[in-house]
Amino acid sequence: MSETTATESRIEAAGVLVVLQASLSLIAGLSAIPFGIVEPGFRVLSVLTILVAVMMFWLARNLRRGRRWAWRWLVLVEVLSLTITVLLALLPIGTIRGPVPVLVNLVMPLAVLVLLATASRHAVPDRR
Amino acid sequence: MYDIATDHAPALSAAILLLAFSLVFVRLLRFLAGREAGWAVRFLEGFNAASPMAKLAAALMLVSGAIHLALVPGHEGITGLLFIIDGLGFIALALGVSTTTWWRRPAALWLSATIVAYLVWVMAGWEAPDQVGIACKLIELVALGLVMRLKNPARTAWPRRLWRATAFPLLVSLTTIGIWIGGLAHPDALHAHAGAVLQPVASVATPEERVAAARLLADTKASLARYQDPAAAVAAGYKPGPVSDADPLLHFQNQANIGAVLDPDRPQALVYARTPVGLKLVGAMYQMPRVGQWGPDPGGPLTQWHQHEGICFSPLGFEFSFETPFWTCPVGSGSITTPPMLHVWIIDNGKSGPFAAELDKAARHQLTGRS
Repeated sequence: MSETTATESRIEAAGVLVVLQASLSLIAGLSAIPFGIVEPGFRVLSVLTILVAVMMFWLARNLRRGRRWAWRWLVLVEVLSLTITVLLALLPIGTIRGPVPVLVNLVMPLAVLVLLATASRHAVPDRR
Repeated sequence: MYDIATDHAPALSAAILLLAFSLVFVRLLRFLAGREAGWAVRFLEGFNAASPMAKLAAALMLVSGAIHLALVPGHEGITGLLFIIDGLGFIALALGVSTTTWWRRPAALWLSATIVAYLVWVMAGWEAPDQVGIACKLIELVALGLVMRLKNPARTAWPRRLWRATAFPLLVSLTTIGIWIGGLAHPDALHAHAGAVLQPVASVATPEERVAAARLLADTKASLARYQDPAAAVAAGYKPGPVSDADPLLHFQNQANIGAVLDPDRPQALVYARTPVGLKLVGAMYQMPRVGQWGPDPGGPLTQWHQHEGICFSPLGFEFSFETPFWTCPVGSGSITTPPMLHVWIIDNGKSGPFAAELDKAARHQLTGRS
């Protein structure tokens, strides 16, 4: 298999994971709307979460189209997500309990980062 | 809210074992191919020709297959039979990635059918959604997403491209909502209300346990008499927690009492109701030091501890919402699980009783004018 095909394949796989993350964020944002009726802070957080989800759909789309800025933004988002999860996991508040939070909050961001890193940056066409 | 069912735990070990076995299998194939075994050479050629995405999809289907087969002993009847068929189907399709050119469409159908069947089972109450089941659906969703992206994009017209762009997010959303509905519609006996899990206890209290529960209530009432005035509580080291518009109760916590265990003289928190005429002391909250550490229950089922989990907590304003079954929270909030707690209500708590996880609706309405 050529290096280009392997790189495209990794970018596609990363795109699938980002779309999955965006879909999960979208549901988290939508599900917080009813709480916003009595909790004003969640009105802001739900709208913010939906916007982040939309942004991730858009980044996934542009990653597949070979936009290098999408690659950079996704690396930033995933590193941020992973860092926050690790910091929360260090607190005694039961953030990571069981396989689902491990897969969603640790393995998935890590997998996206590995896929993006191994799809070597020079191989991602820069179509600004 | 979503724990690991006891009979599902071996499936996690099976998934890890299978991945280790697969690595050994590939090495064995390489060895056999080196010795020019025809079938091994053909299999390896197919494996090497597959894209990384196809290989990843195959690995995920193998994991799902192993989980299904490992779950068979705990599932009788039609569910067990379907798990056997499903598990073998996934393994065959995973092998098909290296041996056939037509595996993609059957794999997409198999994965979709498995996810839909799970949702039907969960919503009908035939299967309780637990973390192994949900993790398995997550693995299948990723595999399905990969399989859907493997199709040659040059052949697609715009309706198909639109379908490809929306089908996967739509299926993820429907899966999340379906699991959520199933979990809320058919909660197990240890879910007091959304977000609170009860300590497992015997179903009937013994006469000794009834006496012990009455003693705990009397001791708590006697101890709390000195804190009717919130100023006295503050003077004793209790600090009011953040006020939430959604909660008419206000907890005053004392960090110095963290290490005490069910000590009526040193409750971890005092609970005041925000009434139209000011704060009124309604009870105490005992709390254990660590998550998952159930406290002593002298009253047996009468003094049942509970812990809150599956909650998204926003430190900006002390507000809560619920986590999705895939353990996601809105941006700016984090998932928390509280250490087990036991409330002792010193006012008449109606039908719910003095040790209920929550203040009775009627009592709450009477105190605060809110339901």
